[in-house]
Amino acid sequence: MKVLLVEDNERVTQFVVKGLQEAGHTADHAANGRDGMFLAASEPYDVIVMDRMLPGDIDGLAIIEALRKSGKRTPILILSALAEVDERIKGLRAGGDDYLTKPFAFGELLARLDALTRRAQGENAQTRLEVADLRVDLLTRKVTRGNRGITLQPREFKLLEYLMRHADQVVTRTMLLENVWDYHFDPQTNVVDVHISKLRQKIDADFERPLLRTVRNAGYSLTSHD
Amino acid sequence: MRFPRSSALTLAAGYIALGLAALALFAAPLWYAWRVTIQDGRYEILQSDALRLTDVFRREGAAGLVGYIDNRVGMQIAGERLLLLTDAAMKPMAGNMAAWPQNVPPTPGPYIVKLPMSGHLEDVALVHSTLAGGYHLLVGRDIARYVPLQKRFWYALASAVGILSVVGTLGGILIRRALMTRIHGIRQTVSAIIQGDLSHRLQTQRSGDELNTLSQTINGMLDQIEQLVQGVRNVSNSIAHDLRTPLAELRSRLEELALTRPDSTHTFAQIDAAVADVDRVIGIFNALLRLAEIDSGLRRSGFVPVDLGEIASAAVDFYQPAAELRNARLVLESSGSAPVRGDPVLLAQALGNLIDNSLKYAPEHSTITVAVGKVANQGVEIVVADRGPGIPDAEKPKAIERFYRGDVSRGTPGVGLGLSLVDAVARLHGSELKLEDNQPGLRARMLLSQDNAKLVRPTRTANEEEEKYHHEPVYP
Repeated sequence: MKVLLVEDNERVTQFVVKGLQEAGHTADHAANGRDGMFLAASEPYDVIVMDRMLPGDIDGLAIIEALRKSGKRTPILILSALAEVDERIKGLRAGGDDYLTKPFAFGELLARLDALTRRAQGENAQTRLEVADLRVDLLTRKVTRGNRGITLQPREFKLLEYLMRHADQVVTRTMLLENVWDYHFDPQTNVVDVHISKLRQKIDADFERPLLRTVRNAGYSLTSHD
Repeated sequence: MRFPRSSALTLAAGYIALGLAALALFAAPLWYAWRVTIQDGRYEILQSDALRLTDVFRREGAAGLVGYIDNRVGMQIAGERLLLLTDAAMKPMAGNMAAWPQNVPPTPGPYIVKLPMSGHLEDVALVHSTLAGGYHLLVGRDIARYVPLQKRFWYALASAVGILSVVGTLGGILIRRALMTRIHGIRQTVSAIIQGDLSHRLQTQRSGDELNTLSQTINGMLDQIEQLVQGVRNVSNSIAHDLRTPLAELRSRLEELALTRPDSTHTFAQIDAAVADVDRVIGIFNALLRLAEIDSGLRRSGFVPVDLGEIASAAVDFYQPAAELRNARLVLESSGSAPVRGDPVLLAQALGNLIDNSLKYAPEHSTITVAVGKVANQGVEIVVADRGPGIPDAEKPKAIERFYRGDVSRGTPGVGLGLSLVDAVARLHGSELKLEDNQPGLRARMLLSQDNAKLVRPTRTANEEEEKYHHEPVYP
């Protein structure tokens, strides 16, 4: 994917750009609001990573608002040190699609960017999700793997649904907390891991090929690839 | 020289002005009554005199009256009473006046005029009546003898004003001095506090006057400030201490890498560990920022109606697998909907922290109970009870303090901010976290008012009265 990073801190820029390139993406970079605004408005990007506090008179939120007003629908992830709930709400209201606070793990950023670009491509209308031989029918709420039915509790179903919608992507613990449980805080102990291992018991334990994998330093991924 | 602007002096001046106004209001009707009575009485005497003379005139004619008047004038003490009888042409016929006074009008009636009496002009009251045949009769009286009385009245009034002013000023000065002494004391104490010694307190007396009440209030405020400052100091120390440990580990890890330059596998493992160290530091900062955010009370603006029953059910659902993993039972006791106004994210986090806390210490096969229930007329109570080691009574108040880690918690993960956060959330919602004995175990309890948005509570204090107030919450 093609990413625009609007960020004034050199270290963060270097870290993100290098990481994105290593993950096989192209990244443009703007170090101030004016350049960021210009690039975002003129070039086609799959996703924009926007810092909020930028040098010069245009801040990140102003750019987002201007882009949205001019009809640009490019997904935007706000990357900011402003972590208060109010700030997060402000960012999302201005037109941001996701909000990640600094300091952040690169894995988290990449996973969220992946999720944002997939969402933009639109795959929500599906009623059946499939990864390898694992099938989920969203209407009947039936889960099967191969030809065997799997019984899931509602919460487990929701977790699996989210993982399947983001198949072949890395999904972080925070993303799961926010999207499956709607918890916008860190519940200290890694309860998410326990949920995952329970789900894994049900969908992977009796099968030769595991689908739900742990991605080191990042999260989980439901994938049929090796 | 400028007069010192003193509230006591202003007050005294105000009182003096008020006293003077009262005196004027008191003297005015008196003065009026006096004047009316004296004047009317005077005219009455003159009138009856004139009537008597008219009677003589009617009985004995003009000649008789002339004789009568001459007789009267002869007997009279000079200058006191004036009598004059003239004919129609104002020519004097009898009496002790040489001529008809120019300033008395020719029409009958009572008058006050100035007449030369024993050499100088004096006020004289006169009654002028006309008799049959065109005769004019003038009966008058020198009123100069009332002047001293009048003067005495004015003198009395003036001295009253004087006394009032002097006493008022003196009172003002005395009040000011007394006030200044006490204010000086307050100022000295406050200066000492400004210089950094928060242990000073204002002097209070047993009498409950306004200044004393104010001093007590200020002392209460100082107690609170001292406690907060103490708290901040403790927290800073704790932060420094708690951050030092992971930072020290991080430093030694990195330094070791730089010195030994091990093979890449080992290096990457160490780097991962270093990132984990940093994450711990970030975690502490995030928890502190969250606490600061909650303490600021700003979140209250985002209060919405929430169902605590639902939040509890979701939390129990969320922690259930973790409980199973520890072979503990996590049970929800909920009686339908439990509506309150609040911040759903924070309430969920607070409840999560309580369950998480219980899970950490719950022995195998024990039960952790999460109960949500309405309390009649009070709101919704939420209880998380476990059968773990609990917290000794002596440590309970401390357990809520930031960075406090009890003996049992040593060796478990966490930074000692969990219960602080729960308490901060409870306080934001106008309640507080209560830690009780579950015999055995810990019973954490919060009572949230249905209308808690109206309640604004300060942060925790050790003040006894404050505590009492919290024990009996006031619900509007």
